[in-house]
Amino acid sequence: MAVIEVDHLTKRFTGVTAVDDVTFAVEQASVVGFLGPNGAGKTTTLRMLLGLVTPTSGTARINGHAYADIDEPLHVVGAALESSLAYPGRSARNHLRIAALAGGARPGRVDEVLDLVDLTEAANRRVGGFSLGMRQRLALATALLCDPEILILDEPANGLDPEGVHWLRTLLRNLASDGRTVLVSSHILSEVAQTVDSVVILDSGRLVTQATLAELTAGGTQLLRIRTPRAVDLAGLVNARDGAARVVAGDRIEVSGATSEQVGLMAAKHGIPIFETTTEAADLEDIFLRLTAGQEQNEVTR
Amino acid sequence: MTRLIRTELLKLATMRLTYGLLAVAAALSALFSLLENNMAGTGGSGVPAISTADGLRTVTTVTGFAMLFAAMLGSIVANGEFRHSTATLTYLATPKRTRVLLAKVIASSCAGSFFGLVAGIIATGVGLAFVAGHGDHVALSAGTLVGHIAGAVVGAALLAALGAAIGSLVRSQLVTVIGLLVWAIIIESLIGGLYTATRPYLPYTAATTLAGTKLGSAAFGPAHGLSGGGPLPFVAGAALIAAFAAAAALIAARTTVRRDIS
Repeated sequence: MAVIEVDHLTKRFTGVTAVDDVTFAVEQASVVGFLGPNGAGKTTTLRMLLGLVTPTSGTARINGHAYADIDEPLHVVGAALESSLAYPGRSARNHLRIAALAGGARPGRVDEVLDLVDLTEAANRRVGGFSLGMRQRLALATALLCDPEILILDEPANGLDPEGVHWLRTLLRNLASDGRTVLVSSHILSEVAQTVDSVVILDSGRLVTQATLAELTAGGTQLLRIRTPRAVDLAGLVNARDGAARVVAGDRIEVSGATSEQVGLMAAKHGIPIFETTTEAADLEDIFLRLTAGQEQNEVTR
Repeated sequence: MTRLIRTELLKLATMRLTYGLLAVAAALSALFSLLENNMAGTGGSGVPAISTADGLRTVTTVTGFAMLFAAMLGSIVANGEFRHSTATLTYLATPKRTRVLLAKVIASSCAGSFFGLVAGIIATGVGLAFVAGHGDHVALSAGTLVGHIAGAVVGAALLAALGAAIGSLVRSQLVTVIGLLVWAIIIESLIGGLYTATRPYLPYTAATTLAGTKLGSAAFGPAHGLSGGGPLPFVAGAALIAAFAAAAALIAARTTVRRDIS
């Protein structure tokens, strides 16, 4: 069942089409990466989904309703948007107390979410003195206050150090294993690649693709790195078949377009020893860049 | 709706600005009631001695500053959310934006009424202290003094509501705060000085007359101390300010409040 449905959504600001006829759906209990370079229209799309920005045309629905028609919305959807900043003069705890009161969170929840995002010790400090990473944690805590089934996170990894990114991944995985639906945006695929089931890719306001990670990598090519004393011979054999091989050093070749099994059998048949084979998964980042760059070229030629 | 109003009050209670504005309003009330007291009975300023009813009233009804600060607080309650982008969270919790507007107007009135109460007590306290110090007879009845304080509470509450409505209409905090000051200190004084008959209908002046301040006493410029004309009856004056607030809130709900939050 789709819990988030975006249907022919368009937003035009004066002179600029920020989001152009975008359609996608997010299934219940899935973790979906919402990807695209900066300025692709991700934030505007999320803001339309959350009723903060009025679409020029099209609809964005959560559980079949426009956000404004959801009763007790914070119990259904938790959102951490890049700019949903707290008043700098307030302590983290007071910021959460206000959100808890506004959203109708159950008592005691403020302390729970502070603990969940490791901000308990900083709870009574003014938010104005927080680092970007701490603000991101506070935004996540705010999103989780009313224990929502759906989470919408806009660039949650921004400003986090490597340790923070690792922490975020673990948190997202835990949320997903609870059966929650997560839509998480990022302009860096690798930040979310380990966590998401599928991706929605946006570029220049238009939908590039909605696909599972497997579908995305299926089109991509795998790279084999092989160490063999007869590098030139093996490369010649591979090139004679479907694959493409390149000798990179006296005893090393790189092969694409063939599996390690195919190359191994070929080598065995001709008595070529293989010392080492490593398979490099198709580079998601490359695929991502190719998909979004292609779109930009279309933009230019149009 | 109760939850929304409580949320807005909690926001106010957790802002240092609220206490700062209250402190400044209280200090200005004390300062200016002392100044009026010093001028009272000296002849030059036209303020009668505080042993007289008129003189005492001039000192005990210096509550206009608190009303003006209550209006500024109201405007900040509304558009401070845009200065710090907290409107996003507010509207995520309550997507029905007119309800948020209404809650802000009501919460601002509550906070504003407290500004009026504090200023009324301070000014009355200053007046009574000097009357007692001189060993004079208190020329105003207890009922009148309490009535003036109650009037300050109502006036400040209504101006705070008007401030919140204006703050909802104009998203720039700087523009509304400066605008409110300029309006009360310069524009009302100019209009009131040029067209004396309009004075009872000017919102800041009308609010001060609710608290027993003489028409013109709260004015800063040419209209200060101008005699002639009388204030609107209490209920009419209060209704007038409430109508201004309602009109501003209605326009805000139809225009600014609906705009995109980005």
